[in-house]
Amino acid sequence: MHEYSLASAIVEQVKKIALGHNASKVKTITVSADPYEMVIPDLLKEAYGIITDELELFKDSKLELLILPAEIICIDCDHKGEPSIEGDDEFAYNFKCAKCGSRDTHLNIRHLTIETVDLEIPE
Amino acid sequence: MTQEKKITVKKQAYLVNDEIADKIRHIMKEKDKLFFNIMGSIGAGKTLLLERIAEKLTPHYKIFVINGDVATTIDADRIAAKGATTVQINTGGGCHLSANLIQKELDKINIDDYDIFFAENVGNLICPAAWDVGAQMNIVVVSITEGEYVIKKHPIIFKGAAIAVINKCDLDGLGFDSGNLVEDAGKIKSDMRVICTSAKTSLGLESLIEALGIQLP
Repeated sequence: MHEYSLASAIVEQVKKIALGHNASKVKTITVSADPYEMVIPDLLKEAYGIITDELELFKDSKLELLILPAEIICIDCDHKGEPSIEGDDEFAYNFKCAKCGSRDTHLNIRHLTIETVDLEIPE
Repeated sequence: MTQEKKITVKKQAYLVNDEIADKIRHIMKEKDKLFFNIMGSIGAGKTLLLERIAEKLTPHYKIFVINGDVATTIDADRIAAKGATTVQINTGGGCHLSANLIQKELDKINIDDYDIFFAENVGNLICPAAWDVGAQMNIVVVSITEGEYVIKKHPIIFKGAAIAVINKCDLDGLGFDSGNLVEDAGKIKSDMRVICTSAKTSLGLESLIEALGIQLP
């Protein structure tokens, strides 16, 4: 259940950003995640709700999650990009390189990233 | 009156953790220390393996082990009995160690007093994979009693590991088979070292110590 740690890390960073802009409210936080980030979206949102429940700055705010396409790095040919097919029936996440066909690939996980924050700022 | 403003951030949620992890890695490198992160599920044999490693290394090196568990100091006490200095982090409900927790423990000691550092992560094959603790090398320990599909079911943690340890190989042929796990670990990626061990009998221990880059006089 590391979603709680992640939600907490998001809130801490956004709190600093909001204060830096003299914001009175955080409206929406948009985060992106790799499909193999091991984040359960519902749990992340639930943890976010628990953490921000009593934080006035985050009252009624939303956390939106964008799931990115998978990306691999081929150990054989150094190709970096989307795999040719999503996985392997026999071996999960053993992605095939779209360029040379090798299955000797690293999964290039793009970690959970705070993309944008919508703030309400007093004029 | 208020206005709404969209701020582009483009920063990882792990940013604070990763910055601390990079700092730990930098300090360890600068001071010529080794730091290993041992991950694996509950009961894989991480602690016994660290006891065996401590027995081998403590006559020659000063070892510091940070143990992560939800509760108790059992693991830290066991490894301390083998000559290493240990500290137990109780995470409460936390399912992984993080760089911040490691840094707090390192702040309490003089790093120069030790040669080699180990973190024994919380028993879990999922969450620790996502949290960089600042180690130079990640090692995943699985045992042949965890079922023949344990690697297939948890590939991501192996994608970030330099060494896969297949433990409890003394039970090979006694209703358990290391062959499938060795084969699966080999399919994860070609540049991961796969080592069969038995922490109980010390089988493979020297290969593991050699793979860690530690020289014994």
